[in-house]
Amino acid sequence: MSAVVEASHLTRRFGDTTAVDDISFSVQKNTIHGLLGRNGAGKTTLMQLLTGQDFATRGDIRVFGENPVENSGVLKNVCFIKESQRYPDDFKPRHVFTSAPWFFPNWDAAFADRLIADFRLPLNRRIKKLSRGQLSAIGVIVGLASRAPLTFFDEPYLGLDAVARQIFYDRLLEDYGDHPRTVILSTHLIDEVSNLLEHVLVIDEGRLLIDDDAETLRGSATTVVGTRQGVDAFVADREVLHRDGIGGLASVTVGRLSPQDRARASEMGLELSPVSLQQLVVRLTGGNQTETALEQSA
Amino acid sequence: MDDSRPIFVQIAELIENDIIAGALPEETQVPSTNEFAAFHRINPATAGKGVNVLVDDGILYKKRGIGMFVASGARDRLVAKRRDQFQNEFIAPLIVEAEKLGIDKTQVIDMIRKEGTA
Amino acid sequence: MSTVTRTEPTEPMADGHDAGSRILSVVRLHLVNRYSVFAVPWMIMGGIFVVNVTIWWIIFASVTDEADRADARDGIAYSGALFYIFVYMLVLGIQAVAYTFPFALGFSVTRRDFWLGSALTFVALSAVYSAGLTILAAIEVATDGWGLGGTMFASYYFGGADASWIERFGLYFATYLFFYFVGAAIATIYQRWRNNGMLALFGTLGLVLIAGIALVSFTNSWPAVGAWFDSNGPSGVIAWSLVPTVVAAVTGYFILRRATPKN
Repeated sequence: MSAVVEASHLTRRFGDTTAVDDISFSVQKNTIHGLLGRNGAGKTTLMQLLTGQDFATRGDIRVFGENPVENSGVLKNVCFIKESQRYPDDFKPRHVFTSAPWFFPNWDAAFADRLIADFRLPLNRRIKKLSRGQLSAIGVIVGLASRAPLTFFDEPYLGLDAVARQIFYDRLLEDYGDHPRTVILSTHLIDEVSNLLEHVLVIDEGRLLIDDDAETLRGSATTVVGTRQGVDAFVADREVLHRDGIGGLASVTVGRLSPQDRARASEMGLELSPVSLQQLVVRLTGGNQTETALEQSA
Repeated sequence: MDDSRPIFVQIAELIENDIIAGALPEETQVPSTNEFAAFHRINPATAGKGVNVLVDDGILYKKRGIGMFVASGARDRLVAKRRDQFQNEFIAPLIVEAEKLGIDKTQVIDMIRKEGTA
Repeated sequence: MSTVTRTEPTEPMADGHDAGSRILSVVRLHLVNRYSVFAVPWMIMGGIFVVNVTIWWIIFASVTDEADRADARDGIAYSGALFYIFVYMLVLGIQAVAYTFPFALGFSVTRRDFWLGSALTFVALSAVYSAGLTILAAIEVATDGWGLGGTMFASYYFGGADASWIERFGLYFATYLFFYFVGAAIATIYQRWRNNGMLALFGTLGLVLIAGIALVSFTNSWPAVGAWFDSNGPSGVIAWSLVPTVVAAVTGYFILRRATPKN
């Protein structure tokens, strides 16, 4: 295994705010990474730094072993699809797909055509006049058909309906299977993508909270529900990630439980339920109010 | 896929179930890792890990350049393994729960008989 | 645990720093929408031309006296109608940086390659358009003002009726370059510093202009300024415009090198 991306002590400040705060991590070749976190957590800034679109205040970035800033040898192997991508005013989708192969050496025109049909994207309508979902479809198609060895998707599917999102996941998995490459996917819809991810990075307020394998995270937290006394007794000496309760009932999220712990909990009449990746991220990065909002949006 | 256990374990179990049910007969080729990944909508590396568990257990074997096949005798070994698990995973908790409710063992056996004839 | 080695090839890495081809790709990107690059400017020009022809026709239909006609022709020779097309080029220069720059960065182009490719595009388009205008001016002169005695292309500012074709081409060319690069350079300031940059730019320009006027007024130098314009003539002034054009091209490059596209 070799690292495609290596960041060390990466920091980006804008005036008083620190958008990316002393982050260090590496991304292994041919994996699908999830970059998760709340709005304004620093995900987009981080990706802009990794793709040479923004400039680090401090720290070091290596992409394919080199500094990506103004480095065309590195950048031509990188594709960065972002939700807020701007297009020339007079462009139609066909202009995007005509010019993309000039910049992405691995571009597959037949695959692009298939995706255009999948997403029912009109090629000859002015981009300004497209719906939000159609605009997102352009980005998704470029991101997939470019087959760049390192591809970033930053919230790629604003406005795409559930069907279109499923098409995106299916095509991504299919094509990734046939043409392995490194994908970094930033999204709010954690439940939808959690099974696609091999590795997870969670950032909050510019700092890296989690850098772990998705399989390790799976089952790394459990919610214990029961009477307040029972739950309190059970979790007494554990690190509590989240606590909730009504009346005499308590619901507490704790870290990984051993089979013995589980047996003990069931003897004590406590219920155990697994915590999904999305819930875990919510617990780690949010207050109580934000939690319900995030869960409803999913 | 449930959230409490690693996906690769669940994938291995799904393949085992197909072998036990006869959907994947011995000495036939199993779908590729990518096909498993696409079908279950999971990461191909995770699917590969699940397949590897079965290779390590001798349930599947690899034919170079062709793909993965079900080993002969795989079904019998899986059934034997699952019988052991049955005792631990189903019978033991059943007894614990029955004791909690004050149902003794003869009553449990009667209940099982009734279930069988129903 | 054994590992299944994946048999599929990894996506190939493109190697080498073939910056030249990236620069040419940027040129192609600027030209990919042929309609707006080639059709629209000539359509605008055609529109201006039709309006002018109509005006000439009205003037000469209403003026019958020979002496009055000559006066009218002299006046028309100062037609600034062509400047509209250059203003359109200023807008294209702005759009190249405001829209195409963020898009090109999304296509993993470096700022350096983008600016060099854009500069090459501006030079190429200026040459093509200038050639077109030179031909139209030659026709205008040969047909004695499209048969109506009008002047649009061979106007006073672009050498009048007597200029050689090479001189005229040079004047058009320099004017195009000026508007492209100044437009693009202004847009780089926006890309780099957003609204604050615009305020600073126009604030500074305003101050410099006022200071310049004050300086010239207090030193009673207006006659000297007038003399400078007189001695250089329109052609000389256009030739001098190459100085701000080069300044815009160079500063635009350095400003853009540290710019981050707007979200």
